[in-house]
Amino acid sequence: MLVTLSLPSSTSHEITLPLSTMPASVSPAASTIRPSTDTLIRLASSDHGVQLKALRDVKNQIIGNRTKKLVYIKLGAVPAVASVLADALDGSGHSSTDLLVQSAAALGSFACGVDAGVRAVLDSGALPCLIQLLSNHDEKVIGSAARSLKLLYQSKLAPKYDLSENGSVELLHSLLNSENENANGLAASIIAHSCKASAEQKAFCLNGILAKLIDLLGGSISQRDASLESLASIMKSNHEVASQFVKYERGQALNLLVNLTNERSTRTRLLACACLITLRNVSSTYLRGRGTETKLVRYLVELLEEPGQVGEEASFALSSFIEDDEHLQKLAFDANAIDVLCNHLQKDPLQPKRLEGILIALARMCSRLEFCRAKFLQMQAFNSVSEALHHDCADVRGAACICMRNVTRSVQNLSAGFFMNENIVIPLLELLHDPNPFIQLEALCAISNIVVNFRTSNSSFIRWGGLKQLVQLSVSMDPAIRSNSLCAIRNLTFEADNKCKAEVFKELTASSLASLVSDPDPSVQEQALAIVRNLTGGSLESIQYAFAEGGIILDAVQRQLECASTVESGIQGIFVLSNVASGRDAHKDAVMDRLLHNMGSGSNPPYLLRFMQSNDSRLRTASLWLVVNLASPSCMGASRRIAKLRKAGVVSQLKIMVKDPCLDVKVCRAGAWHFFPLKPSFEPIADYSPGNFFLSAASSDDHTGSVPDLRRQLKIELFMCIALRIFPVLLHSCPSGCPIPFGLKTRNSILLLSTSITDPFATSS
Amino acid sequence: MPVRVVETSAPSQVSGGDSGSTCPQPCTLLSVGQAFSGTQNVSNKHIDEAWRVNVRIQGCDLDHGYLCGTMEALNVPMADTPVITFWEGEIVDTKNYTFFTGKWEATPEDDIKQWSKFPSFSPLQSQVEADGGKSLNLSNYPYIFMRWKELYFVNVGTDCGLTIAGFYYVCFSCSDGSINGFYYDPNSSPFQKLELKSTNEGRPGFSFSSYELQ
Repeated sequence: MLVTLSLPSSTSHEITLPLSTMPASVSPAASTIRPSTDTLIRLASSDHGVQLKALRDVKNQIIGNRTKKLVYIKLGAVPAVASVLADALDGSGHSSTDLLVQSAAALGSFACGVDAGVRAVLDSGALPCLIQLLSNHDEKVIGSAARSLKLLYQSKLAPKYDLSENGSVELLHSLLNSENENANGLAASIIAHSCKASAEQKAFCLNGILAKLIDLLGGSISQRDASLESLASIMKSNHEVASQFVKYERGQALNLLVNLTNERSTRTRLLACACLITLRNVSSTYLRGRGTETKLVRYLVELLEEPGQVGEEASFALSSFIEDDEHLQKLAFDANAIDVLCNHLQKDPLQPKRLEGILIALARMCSRLEFCRAKFLQMQAFNSVSEALHHDCADVRGAACICMRNVTRSVQNLSAGFFMNENIVIPLLELLHDPNPFIQLEALCAISNIVVNFRTSNSSFIRWGGLKQLVQLSVSMDPAIRSNSLCAIRNLTFEADNKCKAEVFKELTASSLASLVSDPDPSVQEQALAIVRNLTGGSLESIQYAFAEGGIILDAVQRQLECASTVESGIQGIFVLSNVASGRDAHKDAVMDRLLHNMGSGSNPPYLLRFMQSNDSRLRTASLWLVVNLASPSCMGASRRIAKLRKAGVVSQLKIMVKDPCLDVKVCRAGAWHFFPLKPSFEPIADYSPGNFFLSAASSDDHTGSVPDLRRQLKIELFMCIALRIFPVLLHSCPSGCPIPFGLKTRNSILLLSTSITDPFATSS
Repeated sequence: MPVRVVETSAPSQVSGGDSGSTCPQPCTLLSVGQAFSGTQNVSNKHIDEAWRVNVRIQGCDLDHGYLCGTMEALNVPMADTPVITFWEGEIVDTKNYTFFTGKWEATPEDDIKQWSKFPSFSPLQSQVEADGGKSLNLSNYPYIFMRWKELYFVNVGTDCGLTIAGFYYVCFSCSDGSINGFYYDPNSSPFQKLELKSTNEGRPGFSFSSYELQ
């Protein structure tokens, strides 16, 4: 974005003295000179002295000043400077050399960190001229051109270095061979910029660059450093090139690289470590068996203590090394990385880049291992992370959010309510409105973890406005924000008390929840279903949420199950039905009706049977719990539900599942199986004597009057014992009310159970 | 019958039951949110009492052999209110943890002696004595063995007169959701047995909730 300034009128601020009469000794300071078209006039002057001065003025003004750069770019200064450069190339003599140095430097400064500047330099045609300067006899000219080209090649807008162009390979070789450290640095920049794709990396290898770089590992410090940087670029994520390096001269290159991690120069050590990390990221086998991983971690932890850029970059290198790798995180833990990082974190003040690096490294350390999180919290540096949430620099805020997110995965500390603290939660809630979407998302993820509370009330979170904000975000245009805000609400409702659930439901509303269950985004559906699951779990009266507003939520769940796009949605949806079916008779019947409606629709296999046949054991298990809850003899209508389930083919499916490889499925299946009597027809009987199992021919329409079969009686008794053993809770944890005998009778057999009968929609007593 | 299982059947085509893993498989009744209730019996020549105990699972990470939750002891004589502690569990999966404790003043001999109190341990005993059970395949064994260590009191001070210096050897039955445990503390003499059953807290069926850490 260009900054437009209202420039003062040229007559009031511009320098009007004839330039030819102005002695250099009384020339005004560059900072007081305003950008103006006069500068362009001076740049176009035929007087080399005037040009030189104009160049110096421009250069001195724009260095480190983005605003001035943009103003000059808009004025057209870049083509003017490029023109000076081109003309000076044809010239000779001392003045030409100065012009070359200053014009090259000015162009580099325009390109430094400003996309518009890079475009302007490229559009002016100055690039070939700058490259031509690399062959100049004057070291100052070479140095100036190399520095400027390095800045240019750091921009993604710079063209890729074309190795097929005449002389380009030779030029690169000469830059690498040069004793001029700027030339070496330029070579590294060119290679880093031009080696993004695998084909590009390979092209550099084929042109002898790989061998040259390996050779220069034994060169001067700047050659070595440039080579290390370049090697990391060429090998990054490239198996073929990495393999070539590792096999080069039977491992000599790798040995040399490992040795460089011991160099005196901290920068060399860091670059060598970075190069080894690149190799390891391609394949962990490259460093295996050498103890190199342990040493690498140790070196990086030591380098964390270095001042300046080395220390900064060491934290990023460590982060990228240990990311997602528990073994390496453990090595870093053993090397006291957390202690070192925390000690630095508590130093004040820290440069933003260093602070960002430390926070990211701590975040990676705490990503998977509980003992790392415990250690970090013990170091009492957590306050520094909370403070960093307020930092001016967006990168620091983002890093603080990632750190928060990972540390708040500690279940032990979530259970202790450690994070439910206004110094942590309120800044995170504020970051939900950060201008940077990445920060919003990371803050949301951290909040999502913190609201998982097992014992402490969430009333504080609600009082701080957290619930309202989450609900607002649940209708965001961004599906990731929608999904993560719903995940936070899901976690808020996990094992929540009735008051919290009521607040959530009131804020979210039944219609919104039903709509979210039907969201086009699968992850949003999943989280919305999980919220309904959690709302309907716990106390018996919670089941009412599924039936709110005429059952629109349950209808939405049903529709979602009929077309479940993902296994995860299916699991959550089935558990919703299962939770509802764990209630009273009317709840179970409501679920049964929906299942039957689906089974009667005819177009697709019923989802219950489909899920029981799923490749995913979690879905099979969830389906079986639904069957268990529906068939449970704890309520009056069990017999008719069992009949309906049998007719729907559930029993046949249960038979098939006897050989399921998953233990959880087998156990649940066995439990469900025992609720289905041997014979289809049955009816309740009124009399029950615990422990008194009889085959009875009385009071049954199916009675045949045959002699009771003792073996069958014993088999039934055994089944009953097993069923009672497996699910005794279903018999003993009925809603309050007088136990009333209830029985199921099949032909020639009686299974006697007791339960209580209550009004299905009565409030709990 | 020994239960050192050698996989003779072809690996299954269906998921969830990683056919290559020898670790215990997930069990719904031992997942987050699940509640158990029962008693802890404290018995020696001086005292003989039973406390009612409720346990709730709060965290479960099978990859790391980790479990955690709270334990609530009711009608504790020395306490005016129920006493709640937070505990962490080590799941014996032969990968993260073996049958040998290696800490908390429990020797291998102590371990064998305590595990032997569980009938479900006897088929495994010889292998455990040989190599700590490292070569056992527990993936299809219908019992999950754990150690539970209480870390802190949630609602009372450490001067409540109770100790959490020891730990529990625990056996969970996948088939019926029951939990049995024996408290071990070399400095504490009473025999303490924990017996819990899965509870659905008054519902005529099983309900399950879940959370997802980001």
